[in-house]
Formats: sequence, C-alpha cells, structure tokens
Amino acid sequence: MIQFIRILQTGCRNFMRNAWLSVAATAVMTLTLTIIVISFISNLALTSTIKGVTDKIDVSVYLKTDITQAEVDSFTKSLNSSSNVASVEYLSKEKALASYQEKNKNNPQLLQALTQAGNILPASFNIKAKDPKKLNEIAEVINQPANKSLLDPSAPQTYSGGRKTTIDRIVSFSNFFKTGGLILSVIFVVISTLIIFNTIRMAIFTRRDEIDIMKLVGATKWFIRGPFIIEAILYGVIAAIIALLLSYSLLLGAGPKLSSYINVDSTIHLFRTYPIVIVLCEMLIGITIGMISSLLAMSRYLKL
Amino acid sequence: MILFDRVTKVYPNGSVALSGLNLHIQPKEFVTIVGSSGAGKSTLIKLLTREETQASGKIIVGGLDYDTIQAKDIPLVRRRIGVVFQDFKLLPNRRVGENVAFALEVSGASNREIKRAVPKMLQLVGLAAKEHSFPHELSGGERQRVAIARALIRQPKILIADEPTGNLDPKTSWEIIELLLKINRYGTTVLLTTHNKEIVNALKRRVITINRGRIVRDEEQGRYSLEAPTTLKGADRK
Repeated sequence: MIQFIRILQTGCRNFMRNAWLSVAATAVMTLTLTIIVISFISNLALTSTIKGVTDKIDVSVYLKTDITQAEVDSFTKSLNSSSNVASVEYLSKEKALASYQEKNKNNPQLLQALTQAGNILPASFNIKAKDPKKLNEIAEVINQPANKSLLDPSAPQTYSGGRKTTIDRIVSFSNFFKTGGLILSVIFVVISTLIIFNTIRMAIFTRRDEIDIMKLVGATKWFIRGPFIIEAILYGVIAAIIALLLSYSLLLGAGPKLSSYINVDSTIHLFRTYPIVIVLCEMLIGITIGMISSLLAMSRYLKL
Repeated sequence: MILFDRVTKVYPNGSVALSGLNLHIQPKEFVTIVGSSGAGKSTLIKLLTREETQASGKIIVGGLDYDTIQAKDIPLVRRRIGVVFQDFKLLPNRRVGENVAFALEVSGASNREIKRAVPKMLQLVGLAAKEHSFPHELSGGERQRVAIARALIRQPKILIADEPTGNLDPKTSWEIIELLLKINRYGTTVLLTTHNKEIVNALKRRVITINRGRIVRDEEQGRYSLEAPTTLKGADRK
C-alpha cells in the first residue's frame, strides 16, 4: 500500500516536473477525446434525425374511381404480403375529401371550387415501408397485373410526393459524416498514442540516471515502471475532463442553432441523464490510450 | 560470504571478461581488488549485483546460489548489497536526507522507519548537519558519504565500493577509506576497487589483482601491483 502511494506520488511529481511535455501530451489527448465525443454526438444526432426523416417516406398509390370494396381488400392483402410493408392505410374518396378540406380550411375559395366540381379526389393507399431504401419491392407488388388494373392511370404512384431523392441525399450525406467521424477518431487515437509514446520515451531518457539508481537500490520493476504509467494515466484523465467540458459547452452553444437541421435534443438528454457514465467512459478511453502507449514505450526503451 | 567458482563471462560481442575465475571472500573481510581498466573488475561487480549473468560457473553470495534467482527476485538480491560508485549517483533534485531515504522507500519501509533510520545513518557518515542540503551544495567527499549512507541504510552484509575515491583529492580519499574501514569494523564485508596505489599499500589488507579476467595475485596484506608474481603466474596457468 505504502509502495502504491509512493508510486502515485512519484508519478504526479514527474508530471509536474515535465510540465511542458505533460501539457503537450495532454493537449493532444484532449483533441483526440474531443473528436471522439463530437463524432459520437453527431452520430447520435444524425441517426435520430435520419430516423425522423425516413419515417416520413411513404408510397402513395391512387386508385381508379370505380373500385369496389372487394378489390380494395384483395389489393390490401397482396400489399401486406410484401415483407417490406410496415403498414397500409386505405383512404377512400370521402376521407380524402375530408382531409383535403381540413388541410385547406383557411382557403375558402379553393374549398368552394372543390364543392362545385364534386369530389374529384381519388381513393388511395398510403403505404409505409419498413426499409425506405427498398421501395422497389413494394413497387413490384403494386405493378402486378391484377393490382395495376386497379390504379388510376392518370395519377402515377408517388414516393413521398417527390421528396425521396432529397431524403436519399440526406441519408448518404449523414452516412458520409458518420464514417468521416469514425476515421478521424481512429487517426487521432493513433496520433495521440504516438505522441504519448514519445513523451514517455523522452521521460525515460531524461530520467535514465534516476532509473539506474532505483535499480541499484533494489527497486522492483513495477516500482520503476509505475510512475510512468501514472503519468500517462494523468494525461488521459485530465484530457477527458477538458474534452467533455469543451464538447458539452459546444453542444449547448451550438445546439439551438443546429436544432432546425438536426435533432440534438436526444444527445443533450443523454448527457444530462448519464453524466457519470459518460465521464467514466471518456476517462477510460483516455486512460487506455495513455497506458497502452506508455507500456509500449517502456517495453522498448526501459530495460530493467 | 562471496564465492566465485570457475566463473566465466563472455559478452555478446565475444569479448571474454572473466575466464574461470575463482574467488572466496570470508565474512567481515576487507578486500581490495586492483587491475588495469578492462581487466574484469567491473564485470565482477556487475555479476555480484546481478546486472550481468555469468556464462558458466557458480556464484554464491551470503548462502544464496545465483543460479536459483528468478528475475523477480533480483531487486531483493540488490537490497542485500550496498554499492557506491566513483560518480556518486545521487538524485540531484532531492535533499541529502531524501537521497538516503530513497533506498528505504523503494523497499517499502514505513515513513516512521525512514524518519528514525536516516538521521542515525547520516550521523554515522558524519553528515548529520547536512540532511537538508542538496547534493550540489556538498563537496565531493561529502557526496560520497551520502552515497555510502544510502548504500548502508538497509544494513547490507556486503558493501561494494567501486573506485569510490576516483574523483576525490588525497585527503578526502583517505577520509572515505577510513569511513569504509569503520564500516568494516562494524561487521560489513567491504569490497573495494581502486587505482590508488598509496591507499592500497597503506591499507595492508587483502589485495586481489585481476588481469584479463583471471586472478593473478591474491595476498593477505598485499601491495599494489598489476603484475602477476612469477610463482603464482605459473600456478594459475595450469
């Protein structure tokens, strides 16, 4: 126990004594951890945004005017048989009119025109897909000859009223960001591992004499190695705290501005609900990077 | 106390540092080892502190057969032997007392033990007043006393002094040698290596001369000489 306390003391003292090296190593570690947190946050925010967007993708199929209830039922049945269909909603001519009137209740001129013309709105199916990327499976069902004959030939089927391409773009854009964040995180983990490796290496060289003396007076291997590990752990812990403060204030500051584009509420909520878990995870990442690089440096340069 | 039985040491580059060296040192002896540079003195010391391992032969120190030592026990072996060097090897940013305490800290002694033992030891080496000085504030002789105090604080049975007077003027050198003799009187086996002819001749203690990895001369109350006596030279070559 007294040995452990002494190792801890020596580690902290060495951290202070090597102030500039420590600051550099901690700064790189902070940058790395900040990038990891930001990439994690944007991953969460983008995922929840995409989910919100893709939920809105549906297929509308307009039916011919003289469709019978039996035909509606069989069409529904064949749609439901497709594995990618999440739900099918039948909108009769009357319901379509009612919802149209509801939507345009502030536009009496339009409603008046509609009443004069009689109900010209077609009946339709609103189909929600399980996987919005595989809408062609649904299209196949719709285009089966038995079903195709029931369609309104003048009104082609639509995918979310033409928003599909936009949504597709958003999805691929956010996927690009997610992958980019991951790659950037990996690159910075490697960089900070190298920097800390070098810092510990230099510390080993500058303390060469001290290490010799420690060996001479019979210090065990771990008594000599311990302080270097403590030093590297300190980089990780301090960097984790700074990185979290940095990214959380960034999130709070930029959140309101971003909220019209992406969904950041769930992320802020996560930070507020599990602050300790997040701090610990972050420290764990920092400590792991620090320990691995200091152990690597010692296995190479600290021959005991 | 120390037994070398046909010990050979070959370095990776092929140079033979010790070849079939036999040596027996009794407890409480004061032995001086002389020999020109590269004769094998340093290798002998490194084998004793287990910084190096012999290629063949047996080394037994204080009843402990070095062949049976596992890597993790090497620190324990070193704690049984005190070593001082020509260049003192003190920690420059620690005070005298802390330097001496360091040897105890490393072996897990409690703070109370350290507080009790360090002033006593400094008194023994005549540095009681300098406990709070830094090494750079001390003279060479005083620094060597600190090193001796550090080597002795764990009460080792053996003290190795590897050219302890190499950096000191004659008067100070004698003070250090007198300190070593005092320590020897208290019962510690002392192994001294030196190039100082006057000291060796004045000591009138056992002198072992090493040349090319062999003992060429081993005399009670010996004198400084790097040459092998004609008789022993022949006997050793057999």
